[in-house]
Amino acid sequence: MSAQVDTALQVLEKQLNRPLVVALEACARCGLCAEACHYYLAEPSIDHVPAARGEALRRAYRAEHDFLSRIFPQWTGAEKLNEESLAKLAEMAFSQCTLCRRCAFNCPMGVDTPLMMRAVRAMATASETAPELLVMLADAAIEKGKDPSFFRDMFVEQMADLEKELQTKMGDPAARITVEREGAKILYVPLAGEHTIMPPAIIFNAVKEDWTLSIFEAANYGVFLGDVARAKQIAARIIDEAKRLGVKEVVLAECGHAYASFRWEAPNWFGETFPFKVTSLIEKLDEYVSEGRLHLDPSANPELITYHDSCNMARTGGVIEEPRRVLKAIAHNFVEMTPNRHEAYCCGGGGGLVALPEYTERRLKAGKPKADQIRKTRANIVVAACENCRLQIGEISEQYGLGVEITALADLVVKAMRLPATRPEVEKLFAGDPATVSSN
Amino acid sequence: MSSTVLDLKGLMCPLPVVKIANAIKKVEIGELIEATASDPGVLADIPAWARSSGNELVTMEKVEGKVIRFVVKRIR
Repeated sequence: MSAQVDTALQVLEKQLNRPLVVALEACARCGLCAEACHYYLAEPSIDHVPAARGEALRRAYRAEHDFLSRIFPQWTGAEKLNEESLAKLAEMAFSQCTLCRRCAFNCPMGVDTPLMMRAVRAMATASETAPELLVMLADAAIEKGKDPSFFRDMFVEQMADLEKELQTKMGDPAARITVEREGAKILYVPLAGEHTIMPPAIIFNAVKEDWTLSIFEAANYGVFLGDVARAKQIAARIIDEAKRLGVKEVVLAECGHAYASFRWEAPNWFGETFPFKVTSLIEKLDEYVSEGRLHLDPSANPELITYHDSCNMARTGGVIEEPRRVLKAIAHNFVEMTPNRHEAYCCGGGGGLVALPEYTERRLKAGKPKADQIRKTRANIVVAACENCRLQIGEISEQYGLGVEITALADLVVKAMRLPATRPEVEKLFAGDPATVSSN
Repeated sequence: MSSTVLDLKGLMCPLPVVKIANAIKKVEIGELIEATASDPGVLADIPAWARSSGNELVTMEKVEGKVIRFVVKRIR
């Protein structure tokens, strides 16, 4: 047995907890999961049946754990893991399953195939057969946590520029973007890029929230690798930052996997109850809207709008009605896709696939059911509370000629706020007035 | 020394990092890649990528407007 295969099997052994064993043992091969999977709907073949994907791992599992399989492997379909089958398993887990969990929700036995696919991803990562790019993105994020000093000053400087822009947009010289301010109530964790900072900054300032900005990003590529050790290191950056600043709440950007993992998995990884609440920006928007803290004009969003439920946000995270309540407050013409909520189809870009160019063709093909859903709504705008979904829906819109605009929920909320127009005199007022960014 | 030029403007993170990581594999050790990007996330992500991948960030600067120009060198 090669060292690679040995490592992969060791990782499988380590992961064999009760839920994984149930997933490996309980499949009745009924095939009901087939039509629950967007890959199967896009290309009906046995390879795209979730049960068949699970079976690929079961063969290796049985060879190690089933008495009969050890003696008569041909009777049970058991097969010792080897380098070739490990490479095939890895390819399947990273490119033919987005970990969307729709199959698990539709399985009468409750078989969690994505849990098995995560186990395979972990095996592949440990045996160095996982996609290099995902490993690289996770390691770059970990590097930022080791020594933030190499980018912190640049980040603060960048936020000073953004604060100036914010003040101009809001017509409010008191609007602030503070970075890692001690004692703030809320720590907002964005994604890389100002498109996930400016709209929440406008909203937080409008409701006079006591907030500050994290220097880290919410995305966690360790989760996509199924690698809990890396995922923990990435999450620890934010946990340590939140504890150091003494915040009461960590609000995560509109990012599906970041929310599902940080909110629901991280406390288990660390075996502790965090001294702060973890929420998604979507939940905060719902809170502000419900409390009437935002002045909103739904006529500012006259287009026909639909909402895409990110699998991690809705199916795993349970954030389902919150975005709908917000949408009803900020737009007149909202239409649901069918099916929706926890039965929504994956866009095809989950599980880290949008970051893997080698699987672009496969990913766009798997996005066809979502494209069909969107087309049927006749909507002009698709709102998605997840960056991966937005990137994927943008691409499938082009691929399938949907011609829709894709946006985050916070962007539409800002539109409904009807900020003071960016008039030349307002811009002049702020020109040459260096904004101060408080930074502790 | 030859140099590859990439226009990453309009791409949002992590795509600039993904493009750079792919491009660096196609150049020889010691060669440079010069890129321009508009997503300010690269200010943190490119230095972090260079550190974790063992390559060198030769220079990074803000140029006109929101455009960021940077040069990376393949070390390994």
